[in-house]
Amino acid sequence: MTPGKFAGKIPLPLAIIVAFAAVGCILPRLVQDTESSYLIYVLFQIFLFITLAQGWNLVAGYTGQISLGQHAFFGSGAYVTAMFWNSGLGGYFDPFTILLSGFAATLLAILIGIPLLSRLRGDYFALGTLGLGEILRVIVIQGGAITGGSSGLILPSSAYTSITIYYYYSLALALFATLTVYLITKSRRGLALVAVRDCEIAAAASGIHILKYKVVAFAIGAFFTGLCGSLQAYYLFQVSAPNFFSLNWTLYPVIICVLGGVGTVIGPIVGAFVLTALFEVSKEWLPMIHPILSGVLVVVVIIFLPGGILRTKLQR
Amino acid sequence: MTVDTLLQLLINGILFGTMYGIAAIGLSVIFGIMHIIFLAQGTMIVLAAYCCYWLFKLYGMNPYLSAFVIVPAFLVLGQVLYHGLFRRVSVSGRFPSLLIAFGLMSLLENLMSVLWTPNPRAIDAVYSSYGITLLNLNISFTRLMAFIMAIVAAGAVTLFLKKTLLGMAVRAASENMESAMLVGITPHRVNSVAFAIGMALAGLAGIAVATVYPFDPGFGFIFSLKAMIALALGGMGSLIGALAGGILLGAIESFSSYIFSGAWADAIGYAVFLLVLMFKPEGLFVSSSNKD
Repeated sequence: MTPGKFAGKIPLPLAIIVAFAAVGCILPRLVQDTESSYLIYVLFQIFLFITLAQGWNLVAGYTGQISLGQHAFFGSGAYVTAMFWNSGLGGYFDPFTILLSGFAATLLAILIGIPLLSRLRGDYFALGTLGLGEILRVIVIQGGAITGGSSGLILPSSAYTSITIYYYYSLALALFATLTVYLITKSRRGLALVAVRDCEIAAAASGIHILKYKVVAFAIGAFFTGLCGSLQAYYLFQVSAPNFFSLNWTLYPVIICVLGGVGTVIGPIVGAFVLTALFEVSKEWLPMIHPILSGVLVVVVIIFLPGGILRTKLQR
Repeated sequence: MTVDTLLQLLINGILFGTMYGIAAIGLSVIFGIMHIIFLAQGTMIVLAAYCCYWLFKLYGMNPYLSAFVIVPAFLVLGQVLYHGLFRRVSVSGRFPSLLIAFGLMSLLENLMSVLWTPNPRAIDAVYSSYGITLLNLNISFTRLMAFIMAIVAAGAVTLFLKKTLLGMAVRAASENMESAMLVGITPHRVNSVAFAIGMALAGLAGIAVATVYPFDPGFGFIFSLKAMIALALGGMGSLIGALAGGILLGAIESFSSYIFSGAWADAIGYAVFLLVLMFKPEGLFVSSSNKD
């Protein structure tokens, strides 16, 4: 996992997380006008990406299961939030709605995960998750009045108050996700996950219940992803299949983790910052290139920096 | 449903399915040697379709004749791509290769979107609406040509693999890379050949797509998925299986979209895919002579 301790006692990742939390909480106070503050907006995006990435990190980096279907969970979380809110039972940043969205994604992950993870290895599993995303997208588009069909659902944007609530919420999510991943990696469970990643047969021979660990990791990853979808729904006040079930929502966490270092706790944080920086820069100066950049990045990074930024620096 | 309708649907499905089949054969060749599932196959097919389209639009070149330009070009492209992208990571396992394919797909799709706009394109040639009527059934000319191209392609690749020295080297490497190395076969050489063949097949499939269907950059991903479904149905190791899988998928889609509707046909296809992956990953057409 990571070497080095800070001040001799506190492990480095934990120190970083705490520092992050402290800075993150104070920052909005320092900014003049948060509503039009670019920094707050960008940080909100970054925190969202971090959460998304940690979800994938847990499944792929630590458990070794490459899931290419994160967009299924993202979209599910978003749609559950939207449908619940529209039906009158939920609300704007209503904790119940939020939790429900997360659990819906988790449930989906368990339902799909058990058959998929028990039979498919490696590439086949990736394909299966890819197919899952597509199936879900079609179902949602065909959903008619319940899901708003191909144009999606509109949410009352009058509920918008300020951007600070998004900022704090996404900060909390990012911290929560990172902390979860960190605690898992430090625990025996985490050791089991890494064992599953490195050599399934040996892990099974040591008595680890492979399927259980894979499904749990998958489910936790889905939970975070679903929460991200829900947040995005609250931000855009509109959910539609092309936006929310887009493959981009799988691509971003992949790039971020690959950039920053798969299978590390801080890697996704670094990756999210770098990626957002690159995106914002390219939006400024090369607006057309922006979507192409993602693909180029993945390819370049995998070829030249196979471990990601963090791994290269730590010389793993 | 009358027998006529049944037969018509079946014919449509088969003819259409051969396009999936060509894509799947390309995937199969690449998978057989490099053991990676080349996610970007569909996107390469769309790229070829654009090439075909522009050759037609700008130079008035007959799409079928442009095969003589596009296929060799894609052969070379395959070599270049392999040496540029996959060569270094071919030893590090499947994870990096899978992600590179994923990144490449994303890259190309967006690039094409930016260069040529996301609007659908179609080739409208004199013979686009030609049809032949055989036994009361309507067979579209372009689809028939696609079918013929698929059969020819499958035949050519099989001949190559069976009769030429290079082809036999490729087959040897796919069975056992280490033993192949022992007899003097260079892994990178056969990998790049396999990849080049995969790309050439993509080029051919692109021409088929361009003549039959309106296409846009986003089509690539869907086509990749369909090709993978065809591959799963037919069995990952066999070329004929890939073609057969494609035809089967075409038939399934044809009937599904008649009985339900277009979008559900897609979902049914994916559902079949998941089911086959889970319960019969070696493919539906496994015969005892196939080694996997």
